[in-house]
Amino acid sequence: MATKFEGKVKAIPEMPPKEIEEMRNTMEFVSRKVIAENIERMKITWPNRPKTMQYFDEISNFFGQRVEEIRAQKEAGKKIIGYSCMFAPIELILAADAIPVRIDSGWYDTAKLGDTIVPVEVCPVIRSNIGTQMVNLSPYLELSDAIIIPLTCDGRTKLSEILRDDKTVWTMCPPRIKDSLQSRKLWVEEVKAVKEKIEDLTGTEITGKTLRSAIEITQRASKAFRRLQEIRKGNPVIMGRDSMLVNQTSTWDDIKRWTQKTEELCDELENRIEQKNWACSPDTPRVMVTGTPMIWPDNWKIPNLIEESSPHGVIVVDELCSGDRLLYDPVGVDEWTMSDMMDALAERYILASTCPCFTSEHGNEDRINWLLDRVTEYRVDGVIYYVIRGCILYAMEYARIKRLLDSMDVPVYYLDTEYTREDVGQMKTRVEAFLEMLETRVALREVK
Amino acid sequence: MVTCSRRRITMTEIIAEILRATIIAGIILAGILAILIWIKDQTKKISYLRVFIQIAAVPVIFLGLIIGPFGLPQFPPVGNAPRDAVVGTNIFGAPFPDGLSVPVLACYYPSGRTVTCPIWQIQGYIFPFWNTGLGFGWGVFYTTTGLERLAIVFGLVIGMSIVLGRFFCGWVCPFGLYMDLIIRLRKTFKKRYWKLSERVNIGLRQLRYVIIAAFLILSFVFGTQAIIGLQLVPGTERGEYVYSYFSAPFCQICPVKPLSVLVESALGLMDFTFVFSNTKGLLYEAGYYVTSLNVAVLVLVTIGAFAFRRFWCRICPLGGLISIFNRFPPFKWVSGVRLNKIEEKCTKCGICKRVCPPQVTEVYEEKGGDVTSPGCILCFRCVEMCPYENCLEIRVAGKPIYKSRSWLKGLK
Repeated sequence: MATKFEGKVKAIPEMPPKEIEEMRNTMEFVSRKVIAENIERMKITWPNRPKTMQYFDEISNFFGQRVEEIRAQKEAGKKIIGYSCMFAPIELILAADAIPVRIDSGWYDTAKLGDTIVPVEVCPVIRSNIGTQMVNLSPYLELSDAIIIPLTCDGRTKLSEILRDDKTVWTMCPPRIKDSLQSRKLWVEEVKAVKEKIEDLTGTEITGKTLRSAIEITQRASKAFRRLQEIRKGNPVIMGRDSMLVNQTSTWDDIKRWTQKTEELCDELENRIEQKNWACSPDTPRVMVTGTPMIWPDNWKIPNLIEESSPHGVIVVDELCSGDRLLYDPVGVDEWTMSDMMDALAERYILASTCPCFTSEHGNEDRINWLLDRVTEYRVDGVIYYVIRGCILYAMEYARIKRLLDSMDVPVYYLDTEYTREDVGQMKTRVEAFLEMLETRVALREVK
Repeated sequence: MVTCSRRRITMTEIIAEILRATIIAGIILAGILAILIWIKDQTKKISYLRVFIQIAAVPVIFLGLIIGPFGLPQFPPVGNAPRDAVVGTNIFGAPFPDGLSVPVLACYYPSGRTVTCPIWQIQGYIFPFWNTGLGFGWGVFYTTTGLERLAIVFGLVIGMSIVLGRFFCGWVCPFGLYMDLIIRLRKTFKKRYWKLSERVNIGLRQLRYVIIAAFLILSFVFGTQAIIGLQLVPGTERGEYVYSYFSAPFCQICPVKPLSVLVESALGLMDFTFVFSNTKGLLYEAGYYVTSLNVAVLVLVTIGAFAFRRFWCRICPLGGLISIFNRFPPFKWVSGVRLNKIEEKCTKCGICKRVCPPQVTEVYEEKGGDVTSPGCILCFRCVEMCPYENCLEIRVAGKPIYKSRSWLKGLK
């Protein structure tokens, strides 16, 4: 007779601590190497990187200075709140005097580990996250006192269950229809609920005053963020990878310091514009990347290929939730009352987002409009539509976007890949073929 | 027998008038410049500018600052307002009909008006306009006939609506200022506004036209004695209506009348005893100038304005009249100030919808192009708050004059 298992059944099987320790050490070693190597490669492509980039290089190290800072602050009593998607309202975390860190995982090795728990059809970001949890690779995930997971897709929904076995997980349910009255109500309530949870955890009440100052902090961050993007509109004065790194560090760095450093970087870049000190030749094909997030450190494969292959391109803009979408939209508050701020916050995260998990009466035309606008604003020569296998949402939107870009005479290339290093050679051939075509187009345009 | 005095205006007086007008215009311009230069917060710049212009418009409208003796209590409070003498007789050669018709709720009743609400004028002129001339009511002061006066009123209203449209509602109307001040008062209590449901809001918008139709019909019914010689309502015979509510039915429920009359009385610009004299009958209980219905509506609207932003603007019949130029072809083709949206720049972040004082949703819902809607008061708040460059823009005669900017740049 079968007996019911006493206690909770966890999705991840128990492993001997020694084995975990060993795996963790190996992976950390590999990861440290990958981080150093990625930065080294960025330096090779762009030898005279601005001095300020050094700061971002340091912060980008998952096992370095920033982790120590967070650990020290945690010991001093601050709470760390992780989040796995940019829908999590970080202003609330900041207002409660806690530290927000994004815990989405970009490690290839842990994705392999995740394969032992979930099938390979599952999105690699999710698998990698599961693997990270198994061996405690991510210090941010490890340090988090609670994790906010917005259930944007199937992967995240089930990831929240798996992480909940060992962690405090708060889920938020974003509506799939973006702008209807009832979905707005739902999301506002979700944000309010998360606010209460944050208050309970930190023991700090989020008042109108603290929330206002938190909103102002992120507004200032958005200002610096937009300034960097504005700079990329002109001739390439910064390589795409570098600005992608700057963008991404904002998700775990101290946001005030990040803002200050980004402003410094922009000052330096503006000086270089005056001196016409370009990062690469101004007639390098201008590439836009859109699709699934590209997460530091391992999943830097495609940006590396685009900017290192020969001929190489420069990523001038992206439409990724790990990149140019992160802080672009500010929270626009009309009256600084608590309820209006909460509404503004809720609307900023859901209405301004161009995530393909949404639909509306007019389809996901917000994303399409935004893409088309970026293409013209940034004088994009070609678009790389990047999809990791398992992300149905992005894959399914490709058909329409391809037709639209075709009608605008903008070449678009669909690149589907995995969390693996094995296909780098194949990817390189494909990217190079696309870039060669772009280069010819650029040359032809100049002849005309 | 013309009773109103047409005294000649001396050269010194004209120069003084021009000087005063120049000084006031200078002060207003300096204020505008100061706001444009010193206010760095891009999310507040236009709002401050708007409040400043609204405040500057009040003395111009009510105190006869530009035309007529400043601050002089004029008694009798009707009939020989200075603009009749100066502008009408001396400049145009004929007395001017009851102040310039500008599409704002600049009440007729308080003294010193240089600008008058067209709603009063339309009602007042429909009522006795068949029979104007000496000894007949207001006609005694006019050399123009009622039809001519109606033509002037409509001409002015249509002309100004074409040029500026509901810009008047957002930037000039004194009652709009009253409601904006209430909003600012509410903000100091850190209380948030309530929202009307979209259906109610649209319902109120349509109610405006019912109100217009009602007062036009009532004016006609009350005026049948004068128009076709058949008296339908007692008390509307010749000479009687002058001081009765019949001559302007809407004005007897309008919230602006008690407000402006009481404010002017309190400032000593009107004769308080005159205002509260002539108390008779149910509707006159607070006196001819301020009826009990007026006060009741004012109280309701004031409470409403505390709860809902720009509450009155949603049912204002004058706004309804002008908003024909906001929306309906062919009027909208000729209207000057338009709100435009560029679809590609919009991420539908919802800020424009949330910050809109009269809760207009079209600016958010419509895809792109001309998004001026009948409820829009052209206060430019959505353009001010839109965080996407060039997404929303105000166009004057097709040319963009104010575009949405990344207001983050104004942050310290």
